[in-house]
Amino acid sequence: MARALLRITRCYSSPLSSLTFPPPPPLLHRGAAPPLRFLSISSSSPSPPPSSSAATWDGPGVKGGGDGEDFLGMSDDELMGQCEMGTFKASGPGGQHRNKRESAVRLRHRPTGIIAQAVEDRSQHKNRASALSRLRTLIALRVRKPINLEDYTPPVELLQILPLKSTIRGKDVGPQIGPNNPKFAPGMQALLDLLFAVEGSVSEAAKILGLSTGAVSRLILSDDALRTAANEVRAAKGLKPLK
Amino acid sequence: MLASAAAAAALLPRRLNPNPNPKPYLLKRLASSTTTSSSARTTPPNPQIPISGAAAATAAEVESNPTPLFLRPAEHPIPATSLAAFRRRAESLIPPTAPHLHRHLRWLLADAAGEDPALLRLPLGDLEALWIRHVRDRRPFQYVVGNEHWRDMVVAVREGVLIPRPETEAVVEMVGNVEGFEGGWWADLGTGSGAIAVAVARMMGPKGRVFATDVSEVAIEVARLNVQRYGMQDKVEIRHGSWFEPLEDLKGKLMGVISNPPYIPTEDLPGLQPEVGWHEPKLALDGGKDGLEHLLHLCEGLSSVLKPGGFFVFETNGNKQSEFLVDFISTKWDSSFCDVGAVLDFADIKRFVTGYRR
Ligand SMILES: C[S@@+](CC[C@H](N)C(=O)[O-])C[C@H]1O[C@@H](n2cnc3c(N)ncnc32)[C@H](O)[C@@H]1O
Repeated sequence: MARALLRITRCYSSPLSSLTFPPPPPLLHRGAAPPLRFLSISSSSPSPPPSSSAATWDGPGVKGGGDGEDFLGMSDDELMGQCEMGTFKASGPGGQHRNKRESAVRLRHRPTGIIAQAVEDRSQHKNRASALSRLRTLIALRVRKPINLEDYTPPVELLQILPLKSTIRGKDVGPQIGPNNPKFAPGMQALLDLLFAVEGSVSEAAKILGLSTGAVSRLILSDDALRTAANEVRAAKGLKPLK
Repeated sequence: MLASAAAAAALLPRRLNPNPNPKPYLLKRLASSTTTSSSARTTPPNPQIPISGAAAATAAEVESNPTPLFLRPAEHPIPATSLAAFRRRAESLIPPTAPHLHRHLRWLLADAAGEDPALLRLPLGDLEALWIRHVRDRRPFQYVVGNEHWRDMVVAVREGVLIPRPETEAVVEMVGNVEGFEGGWWADLGTGSGAIAVAVARMMGPKGRVFATDVSEVAIEVARLNVQRYGMQDKVEIRHGSWFEPLEDLKGKLMGVISNPPYIPTEDLPGLQPEVGWHEPKLALDGGKDGLEHLLHLCEGLSSVLKPGGFFVFETNGNKQSEFLVDFISTKWDSSFCDVGAVLDFADIKRFVTGYRR
C-alpha cells in the first residue's frame, strides 16, 4: 500500500478535554474533512515503543520558522491545526490480534519542522495533550524571534520568570514562575531571544534585565533544556558553555 | 456524568460477603521471595508456569467480583509504608527491560486507590494476587483494572468481553463524518463492551439512536454498564441476539450499520499473543474459515436493514479481507451499494470497509 496515501480524517477538537466529549463538531460529508494529515511513523523498534516521551528536532540547527509568528500565543487547537499527527506504526496484523495498551502520538509542527511525541499516558487523547505541551517547550527553545535592542522592553512573559530582585520587574508582575509551570515556556522563549540578540553575553542580558550576571546564570541553569539551548546560542558565538 | 460506584454496584451484583481479610499466606510467600536470593527474582516471569494452588484460588476469588476494580468503593485502609513495600515487591517481579509493565504497575496503583490514597478498593492481598496473575499469566492489564482508556472514555471491561482496540477508535470518526448521522438510527452489531455504541451516541443529537446487539450475555451486561456510566440510556438500546435477528422491527429504517465482528481465521487462533489467545473470549475473535464467516453474513443482511443512502462500516482483519470484501460487495451487489472502499488504519493497513446503500 502506498505510504503516500494519507488518511484524511477529521481532527478531534479540543485536545485537552479528557472526560467530557467536545460539542459535536460541524457535520461533514465524507471527503469534506479539513486536512489534518495522519502519518504513520515506522519506528525502528516497533515493539515496545520508546519507553519515555521524547522530542526531536529534524531541522538543521536553529532556525527562525514561521516569519516571527507567535506560535506560543496560539490556542491548542490553532497549534494543533499546524501539526501533522502520526501514531507509531504497529508491527504485525494489529486489530483483534493484539493487546497493546501504549499508544504513542507524534506531532510534527509544519511551519518549523519540530517534532514532539508522547507515549507515557493511558490514552491517545492524553498523549496528544502531552505531546502538545512538549511542542510548546521545543518551540520556545528552538524558534528565535529577532528583537531590536534599541527600543527593547522585556515582555511580561519574561518578567514573570525573573527572580523578584530584578530592578525592572514591577510589583504587579506577581510571583516568579518556575520551570514546572506551563507559562514558563513563553518566558524562556523571550529570554533566549534576548540572549540571541546580545550574542550570547549573559552580562549584557543581565544589564537589560536589571539583574546580576550571576542571577541570570542561575536562572538559565535552573532548567536543563533552557541551559542546553542557551549554551547552543553561546557556542554559535564562540563563547564557553555555562555550567 | 459518570455514575457512581454505587450505581455500578447496583447494576452488577457484588459478592454478598466480600472477604475483607488479606491473604496472609500470599503475603508471606511474596515477602519471603523478596528476602531470599535475588536469582529467583531476576529471571523474567515465565508465563507458562501455572500459578500455584494458593495463589490460583485467591485469583479466582478476586475475579469472581464482577464489579470492575476501578469502580469498587475504596474502603480498605492501607498504611503508606505497606503500599511502598508492595510497590517494591511488585517491581521486583518485573525486569527493567519491560517498561510497559512498570507503566502498568503505576496505573494499577492509580486505579486501585480511592481519592484518598490511604484507602484501597481491595485488600492488599488481593492486589498482590492480581499483579502476579498479570505478570505471570499474562492476564491482560485491562481485565486487572477493569477498564480500557479508549478515545476520551474509560470503558469498563471484564473477562468474557473483548477489550476495545485502538484501531477501532477510527470507526467513530467515520460515523461522525456521515451527513446527518446525529439524527439517525444506527446499529452496532456485536457491541461487546459497547465502546463504539456509547462513543457514537455521545456525538448524537436528541433524535439519534444506537441499537447495540450482542449474542454474549456478558457483553450485554458490560455494555449496559458502560451505557449507564456515560448516561446514554436514552440513546442506546441494547438488544440480545445474533446479528440482525434482534432488529426485525427496524428493517429499512437504519441510517447506518457498524460492526467489528470476530474476523480472525480459526486456523490463526493458536498463534495469538497470550494476552489475547489465553484470556479474551473466542466468541469475540473466531471468524471461522478465512475469518470471513461473520463478515459475509453481515454483508448479506445489510441491504434489508439499511434505508436508501444508508452507510455501513465494518472492521476487518486487514488488507486481504478488506480487498476481498470490497470486491465481493461491488461485484455481487453492485445494484445495492455504491462508494464501497477500504479505509486505512493508523498503521496503513486496510482495516475497514465502508460503503453506502443505493
Ligand atoms: C471483536 S468483538 C467487538 C466488540 C466491540 N464492538 C469492539 O469493537 O470492541 C466481536 C463481538 O461480536 C460478538 N458476537 C459474536 N458472534 C455474534 C453473533 N452471532 N451475533 C452477535 N454478536 C456476536 C461477540 O460476542 C463480540 O462481543
